[in-house]
Amino acid sequence: MTNAVEMKGISKFFASSNVQASSNVDFSVETGEVHALVGENGAGKSTLMNVLYGLVEADEGQIFIEGKEVKIGHPDDAIHHGIGMVHQHFKLVPSFTIAQNIMLGMEPSQYGLLQPKEEEEVVRQLADKFGLPVDPSARVGDLSVGMQQRVEILKSLQRDIRILILDEPTAVLTPQEVEELIQVVRGLTELGQTVVFITHKLVEVTKVADRVSVMRGGKMIGTKKVAETDIPEMARMMVGRDVLFRVEKEAANPGEVVFEAKHLTVLSESGVPAVKDLSLQVRAGEILGVAGVSGNGQSELIDAIAGIRPVEMGSLHLENDSLDGLDVSARRDRGVAHIPEDRIHVGLNMETSLEENALLSRENHPDYNRWGMLIRSAVRKFASSIIDRYSVASATPEGGIVTLSGGNMQKVVVGRELAGDPKLILANQPTRGLDVGSIEFVHKTLIEARDEGAAVLLISVELDEIFSLSDRIAVIYNGQIVGEFAANEATEYQLGLLMAGGSLDQEESAQKKTPAEALP
Amino acid sequence: MEDILGLLTPALLNSSIRLATPIILAALGGAICNRAGVLNLALEGKMLLGAFLGILGAFFFANTYMGVLVAVMAGGLLGAFFAFVYLKYDVNLIILAIAINLLILELTVYMMRILLGNVGTWSDPSIQKLPDIEIPIIQDIPVFGDIVSGYNIIVYLSWFLAIAGYVVLFHTKFGRHIRAVGENQDAAEAVGINSRRIQLFALVISGALAALGGAFLSIGHLTLFTRNMSNGRGWIGVSAALFGFSHPIGVFLAGLFFGFADAFAVRLQNVTDLPPSLIQVLPHFATLFALVLVALREKLSLYMAKRRSSAALRSGSEAATAD
Repeated sequence: MTNAVEMKGISKFFASSNVQASSNVDFSVETGEVHALVGENGAGKSTLMNVLYGLVEADEGQIFIEGKEVKIGHPDDAIHHGIGMVHQHFKLVPSFTIAQNIMLGMEPSQYGLLQPKEEEEVVRQLADKFGLPVDPSARVGDLSVGMQQRVEILKSLQRDIRILILDEPTAVLTPQEVEELIQVVRGLTELGQTVVFITHKLVEVTKVADRVSVMRGGKMIGTKKVAETDIPEMARMMVGRDVLFRVEKEAANPGEVVFEAKHLTVLSESGVPAVKDLSLQVRAGEILGVAGVSGNGQSELIDAIAGIRPVEMGSLHLENDSLDGLDVSARRDRGVAHIPEDRIHVGLNMETSLEENALLSRENHPDYNRWGMLIRSAVRKFASSIIDRYSVASATPEGGIVTLSGGNMQKVVVGRELAGDPKLILANQPTRGLDVGSIEFVHKTLIEARDEGAAVLLISVELDEIFSLSDRIAVIYNGQIVGEFAANEATEYQLGLLMAGGSLDQEESAQKKTPAEALP
Repeated sequence: MEDILGLLTPALLNSSIRLATPIILAALGGAICNRAGVLNLALEGKMLLGAFLGILGAFFFANTYMGVLVAVMAGGLLGAFFAFVYLKYDVNLIILAIAINLLILELTVYMMRILLGNVGTWSDPSIQKLPDIEIPIIQDIPVFGDIVSGYNIIVYLSWFLAIAGYVVLFHTKFGRHIRAVGENQDAAEAVGINSRRIQLFALVISGALAALGGAFLSIGHLTLFTRNMSNGRGWIGVSAALFGFSHPIGVFLAGLFFGFADAFAVRLQNVTDLPPSLIQVLPHFATLFALVLVALREKLSLYMAKRRSSAALRSGSEAATAD
């Protein structure tokens, strides 16, 4: 039987970021199978699929579709060869109906006028054929995320797609929707479709896929039949080692509760609750790691504590003082430090120098300000102290921050935030996109701050990071804390289950602790 | 008070419709641009260019309809230039529009001096105004006939274009592609729609429409050109496009509303002792009022969404505690 897709020796080097995203990768998908493509963030899965879909041009390599060698330089070529892709961010027009979205660009018309009835009929037949019921006249903007995804899938199928690439399709879905999607994908293959399913959730692989290919660091590690492998083996292939990398640290010595959020509700940009009735406590001298799949309310939680986003209901307390009604700078004055998720746009001002970035929010401090004028020498000295203490490579106080590497930028952010001994440190994905050396440095710095008595609230989507730093671990799902553990009692499996919206009920419930019990 | 009520005559509606015409045309152009996702703030300049070249064309060709044609083509070309600079060089739309508005304002004055040796106001006895057309049968219906019949071709064209705009936007493939590009360009391009071509088209059409509105001012309503003849009507057109929610029919009604405010202000000067300068501000207050309404509607829908989700939340947490 010919393979639906055969990619040979695919290599791609991104000069702009100096990353070998794909090196000599072979990848083949059999006709009619669900093939899972797994790997950590940055392993090269997306690059490989973008090459197949014509979004990225490979430096080297060949692509065969159904046995014939093809050149794919543009998504139109891919669609022409029967390859469709459903991206993480849907490409839909919200005010249009389902039928209008599916038929966009291929509308039936007569005497120049659209034929809405015919259009809906075509969509209805398509939906019947693939067993994906939809209401063709419903507005896409009113649909749930899962339903929108179904519309995207139908949109591909309407264009005679035989090979469907789903890019992390479950990242945005609720657990029920994930179950449905798995049924849908299995159904599609019964009708002769071939599906490539990109994910990093291994539980899903076992449920949906026939075969699995694992990538790491731009290389193809191997392809297995799902029936002949298991989650630990796949995890080993994905991570490349059995034991997780842990930072050396002393046992925590937690003191008083420094920070407490009670029944906190925070709305997202679109006005729907992103954090729902959430309560948590962080003690002096401990790191509370909040694990979760990105987009489950983590950013809204941190922003609300930092004062960037309003609190809808509930209260925040720092050492028995309420933070309610205080603005960002008042909270910073009281000892809240914030290492934001996005250092480029939120953490730093790219237009200006290192010293001005280091000074941010201390402009009115008497050490640096006399009669409304900045004391340049003092500012420079402060910036130099950050450069020295955190060994910011190839940096001067006057130099532009934009010339630094990501890791060195983050050191400036961390240096600024930890100066002045904050009581509470909000660290939102503090090592995202950093190289191994910088990650280690940031981790060590956070642990030092903990040992000096700061309360650290760490948000991370990387379980490695959660495990290596946290003294306690909370799992956030859908805006709520769904489980809390002492770090040494948690397993990756348990956290993964909770992060995916599962429950530990079938597990020994002794492992699961309520927030009150979990406190030491 | 009775004097003011006495103003509400068919004659007032006639002048409302006339004053609304340039605004409706500009606003239709603005609406198409909004739908295609390109903010067009250069309507004012395009209208002024249409007014200037309209009367010039009518003079040189000794034919008023040729003047209209010249204006429309010039407006389309200016729209194409605008699109070219935006789509090719990615120049900021707002800055580009401001530059064009200022350029046209001064350029028309300069050309008046060069070509016509005149700076303030120019006219020539040879120029004919566009003739008013009486619609047979309808003109004989009492009151209704007075209101609907007896305008020049551009007025009727503006009505036709509002309806045509509606049909094109909502009932043709091309119109649907325009709306898709405006709402989610990625979605449109993912299915092979050429979004640049669509935005180019929208800018060309809006230039032609605004210029047609300008020609109405200089050779439809009057037969003269003065410095800054459009006098803010292009900007009111931008507001009318928003007030009409970029829907051709809504835009038409919004244009009528502004035309009515204009006409009413003119009449009001004759019957009250209020200072004329105050009354002339009235149409602009109407604009402000309209835009506040638009803003409030958006605020309100956001507020309602928040309230709904909070309420759902509260009832949800009550249910949870009841368990």
